[in-house]
Amino acid sequence: MGEELYQVISKAVTEGEEEEAVRKVEEALKSGLPPIEIMQRGIVAGISKAGELWKANEYFLPDVIMAADAFKAAMAILKPRLKEGEGVRKGKKIVMGVVQGDVHDLGKSLVIAMLTSAGFEVIDLGIDVPLQKFIDAAREHQPHILGLGAYMTTTMLEMKGIIAELEKQGLRRKLKVMVGGVPTSQEFADQIGADAWGKDALDAIQKALKL
Amino acid sequence: MANPMLEIIRGLIYGNILPIGRLSPSARVFATLMGKHGDIVPFLSPQIHDHAMTVAKVPARKYYFDAGLLVDTQMAVERWYGFDVPMITTDNYNFEIEALGAKMVYSDYGMPAVDTNQPLIKERADLDRLGALDPTKGRIPVGVEIARLSATKGLGVFANGLFCSPFSFICLATGYPKAVRALRKDPAFARELFDYAENKAIFPYLKAQARAGVKQSIGADAWAAFPNLTPEMVDEWVVPSALRLKERGKKELKMKVMAGTAAADYCEEDPAKFNKEIMFKCWAVTRKLLPMDMTMTIMGRTQDWNMEWVQEFAVKNGKWGRKLPIYASLNGRFVRDSSPKQIVDKIREWINIMGRDGRLLFFIGNVPADAPPVNVHTALQAVHKLGRYPIAKDLSAITIEPHKFTPFDEWLKGQPEADVIFKAREKKK
Repeated sequence: MGEELYQVISKAVTEGEEEEAVRKVEEALKSGLPPIEIMQRGIVAGISKAGELWKANEYFLPDVIMAADAFKAAMAILKPRLKEGEGVRKGKKIVMGVVQGDVHDLGKSLVIAMLTSAGFEVIDLGIDVPLQKFIDAAREHQPHILGLGAYMTTTMLEMKGIIAELEKQGLRRKLKVMVGGVPTSQEFADQIGADAWGKDALDAIQKALKL
Repeated sequence: MANPMLEIIRGLIYGNILPIGRLSPSARVFATLMGKHGDIVPFLSPQIHDHAMTVAKVPARKYYFDAGLLVDTQMAVERWYGFDVPMITTDNYNFEIEALGAKMVYSDYGMPAVDTNQPLIKERADLDRLGALDPTKGRIPVGVEIARLSATKGLGVFANGLFCSPFSFICLATGYPKAVRALRKDPAFARELFDYAENKAIFPYLKAQARAGVKQSIGADAWAAFPNLTPEMVDEWVVPSALRLKERGKKELKMKVMAGTAAADYCEEDPAKFNKEIMFKCWAVTRKLLPMDMTMTIMGRTQDWNMEWVQEFAVKNGKWGRKLPIYASLNGRFVRDSSPKQIVDKIREWINIMGRDGRLLFFIGNVPADAPPVNVHTALQAVHKLGRYPIAKDLSAITIEPHKFTPFDEWLKGQPEADVIFKAREKKK
């Protein structure tokens, strides 16, 4: 039964069926399936599949928005239960967001899924996040890592301004900054003074673990 | 522009019957669009408003609020560069939404921007609360005056008003994710949003433009570009909406209303995902939105495209043995970030592929504010030199050096716009 439910959850997330995803996660929890398994084999598998379809040009931005919505709704149900159990890697907190002017949600959702799965506590600021919101979140949550995502060459330039503002406000010293997204590169990360560049979701996890 | 009708006739004759002599810039464009080709490949003026502001060193808080200053500045900067046909643009996405009360961010150095974190429309009830646009509010009178001045400053048949197309308006008013959710999950709400955008927000603005004598108006729709929307979604939602506005404009305002410009424009950013089939679908949908049949590229990452695909599409869909005209847009970021040599090489490559059989027009999607002027000058020089008909057999033998140009301020002295621009730079005492 577990395997079947994981597959249904995964499919609902991939296809952006938000209500179905929530219903099935609730059902899985009631039936006693372990939250970490629901997350990894259901929700993360579903959003990863959406990522594959996006890469293969079979999914487009609207599909991705729907899948990310379903992912977030399902995770919202699961998150409190994860905290009770084997979920959170104590002391490792990450604040993440997609920079202003950019609404591409999938990459960030994938990285968040993987980070959460790896046990990090992730605070998701969402998409199209203005500079000041990053600064406020860095001050309020005092994360170990600030993750900045961008999908467009125009918007990735926002990252430089955010890092400069963190420096200006005296927040940079205790904070590691990771950047990622299609147009970014290691060279770009070095240029703007980021601590790490995540080539993809897996690479982001590996780098985050080392920071 | 001299007599527009004569320019059209001159272009028609040159392009179809008698390719002799040198054409005026606008006749060159007509020859390319309506005939085989002109004397040289034309370079149309791009969207350049914030770049022009930066070149002319006028403050944003004056520039975007003073129609005369905005029009004069762009006319001067475009003439300094030497584009074949001038075009006046502004932050045209913002006018309707600003007048309806959206929270805006104004700055000293950049164009006004909508604060998308505080959406104007959060739920259905907001549509009733907002009501119809009052054309005396916000910068609507400025927008109307920009359109009126464009027509009086020599743009001739290329003069037009500007507005924000319905889907882009909806994205700015609700946020893109909410707009897409409506299209996908709540089509009834999506229809209400389109109805509001078309009839309560945009039409009153068009009406004000028509009252000022504006004969045609163009609605930009960058939010409807691919992959924000699939070509199928553009076909389902954006095309019918544009046709409704066109019909209403014709019937009630005697005005040519062209919504959906840049909708379905192929803007995939990742070269690994470039896909010929999807590009063809996008261009096919775009054709439904254009005032004349052509292959249009505007904002995409064209520097990394295989331009053979564009040529193939244009040839395949042409009529009477002629390909569709190609509106080939150099990517604005490419123009900003490349060396003059890289720009020349790209233009050489494109003319070689798409220019030999004519019907090619150059354009830059949007010249970024901080693009080096030498790059824009060099691009123009390269197109006009390499694109001279008949196109040279060996384009690589033609060398183009980075263009030496008179600095803008020096050039400006004695120009009709000089006083307006120099005065705008003065700080209030």
